[in-house]
Amino acid sequence: MTFSSSYFLSLTTFIYLGAAILYLTYWVFRLGKVGLLATVVTTAGFIVQTTGIILRWIESYKLGYGHAPLSNLYESLVFFSWVTILVYLIVEWRVRRRVIGAFVTPFASFAMAYASFSPRVEDSIEPLIPALKSNWLIIHVVTCFLGYASFAVACGLGIMFLVKDRSKGDPDGILGALPTCRVLDDLMHQTMIFGFLWLTLGIITGSVWANDAWGTYWSWDPKETWSLITWFIYAAALHARFVRGWTGRRIAYLSILGFVSVIFTYFGVNFLLSGLHSYASP
Amino acid sequence: MKASSSSHRSNPIWRFFSSIHLAVFLLITLAITSIIGTVIPQGESPQFYLEHYRYNFFLILKTLHLNDTYHSWWYMTLLGLFSINLIVCTLRRLPFTLKLYKRDSLSLAPDRLLKMPFKKSWKIERCLDNISIERIISGFKESVGKVREAPDVDGGRLFLAEKGKWSYWGIYALHSSVLVIFVGALVGLFLGFKGSVMLSEGKTIDSIVDRETGVSIPLGFSVRCNHFYISFYDNGAPKEYRSDLTILNGKKEVLHKSIVVNNPLRYRGITFYQASYQAIPEASLRIVSPDGRQTSLDIPAFQTVLWPEARLTFGLMRYEPGNIHGRPAVQVWVENQSGQARAFWLLAGEERELNEGRNSYRVSLVDVNEHYLTGLEVKKDPGVWIVWLGFAILVFGFGVVFWVPHQRIWLWIGHKDGKSLIILSGQSNKNRLRFEKNIKKVEEVLDSSIGVQR
Repeated sequence: MTFSSSYFLSLTTFIYLGAAILYLTYWVFRLGKVGLLATVVTTAGFIVQTTGIILRWIESYKLGYGHAPLSNLYESLVFFSWVTILVYLIVEWRVRRRVIGAFVTPFASFAMAYASFSPRVEDSIEPLIPALKSNWLIIHVVTCFLGYASFAVACGLGIMFLVKDRSKGDPDGILGALPTCRVLDDLMHQTMIFGFLWLTLGIITGSVWANDAWGTYWSWDPKETWSLITWFIYAAALHARFVRGWTGRRIAYLSILGFVSVIFTYFGVNFLLSGLHSYASP
Repeated sequence: MKASSSSHRSNPIWRFFSSIHLAVFLLITLAITSIIGTVIPQGESPQFYLEHYRYNFFLILKTLHLNDTYHSWWYMTLLGLFSINLIVCTLRRLPFTLKLYKRDSLSLAPDRLLKMPFKKSWKIERCLDNISIERIISGFKESVGKVREAPDVDGGRLFLAEKGKWSYWGIYALHSSVLVIFVGALVGLFLGFKGSVMLSEGKTIDSIVDRETGVSIPLGFSVRCNHFYISFYDNGAPKEYRSDLTILNGKKEVLHKSIVVNNPLRYRGITFYQASYQAIPEASLRIVSPDGRQTSLDIPAFQTVLWPEARLTFGLMRYEPGNIHGRPAVQVWVENQSGQARAFWLLAGEERELNEGRNSYRVSLVDVNEHYLTGLEVKKDPGVWIVWLGFAILVFGFGVVFWVPHQRIWLWIGHKDGKSLIILSGQSNKNRLRFEKNIKKVEEVLDSSIGVQR
């Protein structure tokens, strides 16, 4: 049983931490080979994590429960970091900017570390409670988390934008290694649109599911409401581009604020507020 | 037409509602105010709020309806303003979109074509013969697909391949979908109902109780719960709650279905959901009289049972399913004719003396059977299909707005300064990188068909 899912998933935590350090090193010292290594390590971590998730899925069948590993806080954290790395690797592959990794991989490694080490997170495989027994579970969780992960990337880009924006007149130094504000602004916008689409789909699939499970497509449950709050913030961020005088800075702030709202939707609601969505509570 | 639109523009109310500032402001305001209802528990009684909050805050809460934030007058007003903003913005954009949509791209002069984001021109010293011109045109048509032609633009022939012009309407789909969803929600709010009912096995009901008003609502048919089942995992966690329901029209059984948590029953627009359950115990007692005669007595919860022989009335007070030595136990209440009552515990398998006057009876608990009450949520929402429609339009509009580009590729063939001139140009309002790749291929095709002539 050495090669159980938990072995692979704990290993992932360390690989992602290593990758985050490599990306930071690459950024600060501008060593091209370290950057390449960071990408290789991240990809390797992604493969190890994928194996871990698949094994966990298989193990749940062996236990006689048989459900996708998306049913509690531990599994959702693992999935969140998995999707974040996936979205990041796609962005890196498309725009060929490794520096972004220094601002995104920390989110994924932090999620894994929290899942693995926090005493508040129970990592055993539990059977599925009746309310979660539905084909909508996978669709709903995947759509929501694609949104969350994109917003994590957009938040990383927003932080980069603010850092870069301060460095006017300083083309050298570590800030000079960051892409220009125009590139960052454009990437941030693209990522937010992508995340917004998935969040919208997540809310829609959640509504359709709730209509079957709870008898109403919208019940102002705290989680639902917070997802709507997040939706409002990103809707505002996407429209703010059309307002004269709203420069990239304010949109970068909105991108960070939006992700804070995502975090609250994800954790805060479970820890601080009670409601129907209590499956992911510790 | 022009006069009316300019009078619109000078109207301050119209200007206020058509501003994108207002849209951003309302979105952020909605985001902030929506937090309230997630922090303050919703839908509780006034006593609850009085107990948990200071009186001054209670008064604010009452005025602003913070016990039902999302249906309060001010939240509805915000949503109303948001809708008006959306409608006015849409109307204001409409003339621009119409202009964009009606714009004729097939009359652009060569100098305008040369100002497009992508352009390429070929100059050829001698006049091209018709055969070579046709070859170039057919090469162009093959690589871009459907083409329209204007025979004489600035002395040359102009060809246009245009795709995705309709995508300008995507934004209207996206924005109107939000209004469609609002309409669906309002239809549900005014024409639907939500209620619940506890139904014991074997019982039939033909009306339910409205959750908000407490008024009884007739269903127009009846529902019978045949059975309720509950099953558990090995670790004791619940696995499935299931109710066997039958719909009856008068006495005729019309529909039969087992419902579980994610699989409700729908009939005539009314939906029945498995929401909760309650176990009702029924204790079976054995009483041995002084003369050795045995009597069996079944006592259901919430009822009293008279045992005529000794004129004793029995009732069930408490039930412990298996917490005491792994055996069920019940607390029984007994009242005699003169109104004296006493209570005692019975553990399954153990006997107990019950003295009544001069007689002494031996009472024991044989078994406890559980009957179930199934808790059903009952809902009618005729607006739900409108909401689904809104969702579909929203996703469709989103896709069109962000991923369907309006692309135009022009080819102009004519003469300038005694030379043959061929211009290829193009423009796309989205996804320019991919567009450039595509038009580069067209350029290569033209390169080769023109190159033959040299």
